[in-house]
Amino acid sequence: MSQLPAEPAARPKQKAAGAGHMLRGALASLVQVVLAAGIGLAIGAIMMNATGYDWKEAYHALWIGSFGDRWGLFDTLADATPLILTGLTFGLCFRAGYFNIGAQGQMIIGALVAVAVGSSLGGVPTLVAVPLVVLAAGIAGAIWSMPAALLKVTRGVHEVISTIMFNWIAIYLSGYLVFNVMNDPRSAERTVRVAENVRMSALLPGADATSALFISVFIAVFFYWLLYHSPWGYEMRVAGFSHDALRYAGANPMWAVNVTFLLAGLASGIAGATQIIGRPPTYALYGDLSNLGNFGFDGIAVALIGRSHPLGTILAAVFFGALSTGARMMQIIAGVPLDMIRVVHGVVIVALAAPELWSILRRSISRRVASRTAPAASGPAAGKGAQQ
Amino acid sequence: MRRSSLMVAVLLLALLAGSLSAAAQGSLAIVFDVGGRGDLSFNDMGALGGDRAQRELGVTVREVESATTADFLPNLRALARTRQYDLIAGIGFLLQDAMAQVAAEFPNQKFAIMDGLVEGLPNVMSVSFADHEGSALMGALAATTALELGADTVGIVLGIEIPILLRFEIGYRAGVKWAVDRWNEMHGTNESVKVLHVYTGAFDDPARGKTAAEAMLGQGAVVIYQVAGATGLGVFEAVEEFARAQGKEVGPPFAIGVDSAQDYIAPGFIPVSMMKRIDTGVFTAISRALDGTFEGGATLLTLAEGGVSASTLEDNIEMMNAAIEAGTLTEAERDELLAGIQRAREAVPASAWEALYTLDHLIRTGEFVVPQALDAETAEFYREILQ
Repeated sequence: MSQLPAEPAARPKQKAAGAGHMLRGALASLVQVVLAAGIGLAIGAIMMNATGYDWKEAYHALWIGSFGDRWGLFDTLADATPLILTGLTFGLCFRAGYFNIGAQGQMIIGALVAVAVGSSLGGVPTLVAVPLVVLAAGIAGAIWSMPAALLKVTRGVHEVISTIMFNWIAIYLSGYLVFNVMNDPRSAERTVRVAENVRMSALLPGADATSALFISVFIAVFFYWLLYHSPWGYEMRVAGFSHDALRYAGANPMWAVNVTFLLAGLASGIAGATQIIGRPPTYALYGDLSNLGNFGFDGIAVALIGRSHPLGTILAAVFFGALSTGARMMQIIAGVPLDMIRVVHGVVIVALAAPELWSILRRSISRRVASRTAPAASGPAAGKGAQQ
Repeated sequence: MRRSSLMVAVLLLALLAGSLSAAAQGSLAIVFDVGGRGDLSFNDMGALGGDRAQRELGVTVREVESATTADFLPNLRALARTRQYDLIAGIGFLLQDAMAQVAAEFPNQKFAIMDGLVEGLPNVMSVSFADHEGSALMGALAATTALELGADTVGIVLGIEIPILLRFEIGYRAGVKWAVDRWNEMHGTNESVKVLHVYTGAFDDPARGKTAAEAMLGQGAVVIYQVAGATGLGVFEAVEEFARAQGKEVGPPFAIGVDSAQDYIAPGFIPVSMMKRIDTGVFTAISRALDGTFEGGATLLTLAEGGVSASTLEDNIEMMNAAIEAGTLTEAERDELLAGIQRAREAVPASAWEALYTLDHLIRTGEFVVPQALDAETAEFYREILQ
């Protein structure tokens, strides 16, 4: 199966591409990224200048804080750890043609299960306990993403609606569970802490990254293999192009939907676990979910910047982590307030995600045009399938 | 000749002044809780403490906001690593875990946590506030208001039944008892005021706070003190709705706010709040770090030390100005809110304010000692004797 075209969906022109063409493509997208980042940073600099902050000092601080020393680097990797996973959630579904906005909810459920399992495994050897927690959280996330897939397959409910709804259910459920069931009587604002033997150790003393990073990278590589080197991944990608094509090839598109959502939910569930057992110092879930941040939604931007490619997602997550870690030094050294920093980051992120957003737009327009110009060839049944 | 000696004197004075101010200079870093500046609460009060230190001590202040609770640890570490700050202050108990860890990693760096407790580290000053004393003031105002209006019931709605909240409840009861005794002595009567209390079991559930307050209003409570975080927002809502249903634009009934000046939340119905002076806490901590009196461990800032106070109109103005500076409030909005706060303050009987300020004075001078309860048994004991 590996001799099949690498990009059947996006670029039909590349069908006959050799290694040289692929290299040129990679170079072109690298140029594109650098250009986009440059434009974003330039706009950010203009904005900081206009509001009275020293942009040179600010960007210097951004660099110092994110990659400038080993602590900055490892804090960057700590923020990248959950972002890789939530980015994979969106990216995988996107490759298969779905907009899964449910990473946040799946991550919350994963975190809840990580607390429940992690707090009851005291005394169990770490090498057994940690995989158990991670697996349980992943399965919980996968289960949480199933209703969206089933609603899609059986009722044609759009996944954007259902995944957003399930985010809200997860948020309110977590509020109930944190304050009423898993509450730490001495600290009303959070759950009990997980047992010490499941807390992952720091890779570098004085920085936040833990061995949870390896779990994220491992899953990203696994998704890469799955998507590009396995027959199932091929079906997923074809499903993303056209359900009719998949059906024509003798495969069941519904199966592809379910598997894609399951794996996507698995990744975000594990993202929740990494924030509970793999991020010092609290090892518990706050009732306001403040230690999960917005990693679920940020994953969408991460996936877009990473061109929805699992390995690109790793790079994008590290970049994203660098921005949030660099924000620290932008405040401390350059005195730029966090709100301003967020605006600048937003501009950079939009600039980086723009090429991918544009290609999504172009693809959906061309698909709509294609289905309009050739209605007889596809037939009414196919038209219905394409709309799903 | 005289001129030149004058010049020498001026020069010397200038030099002296220069060296004096140089000696007083220092630097302070403040790490805010999630939500950051413009929260009209703990973070803004912490910032006010920093402003005061800048003004009065010539300290340079660096403020650091946290996007998530996961940022506390790296934020504190990054600041400690610079070795530039005489003190790093954390606003709010949520920073406890992170500060405990970083303080252990940097034993030569001084830290202070506001309204939290980091135990066993000589380089962390844990500042807490005499909630019981502040709550007693609220009790005095509530009871006198009730008596003045011919009512006999006040209420207190609390969050989860944890030791620290028992301190609020018993302090409030002590204030009520003091005010009733005083009233009876002054008027030669034998009145009594009942205190209804409810522990809602939540800090984040306005619906529960509202239900609890509605029940109290139904039983005739005219003033309800909320000590329940976001749950208390429901108390404000219930009181305002109850009054508006009777066509009132202003209390009674009244609600009393907590922690920061919450008077603006339901303008016209919250005449006063029990303020934890995070600003005093930050200022005290940096002062002590600079003059060598810094000590690790728990520090309770009493009413006399400015640790708690009844909110004033000036407190409200100061805080709203901080919010305007942070861009979350406009001047027009501020003026409208202030008018509402003013109306509520005027609707409270003058004798109730007089009772509050009299008790404030007595606590300051040590003539009245507010009992403290930090466990259920002690609390039950005081509930009995404070009837």
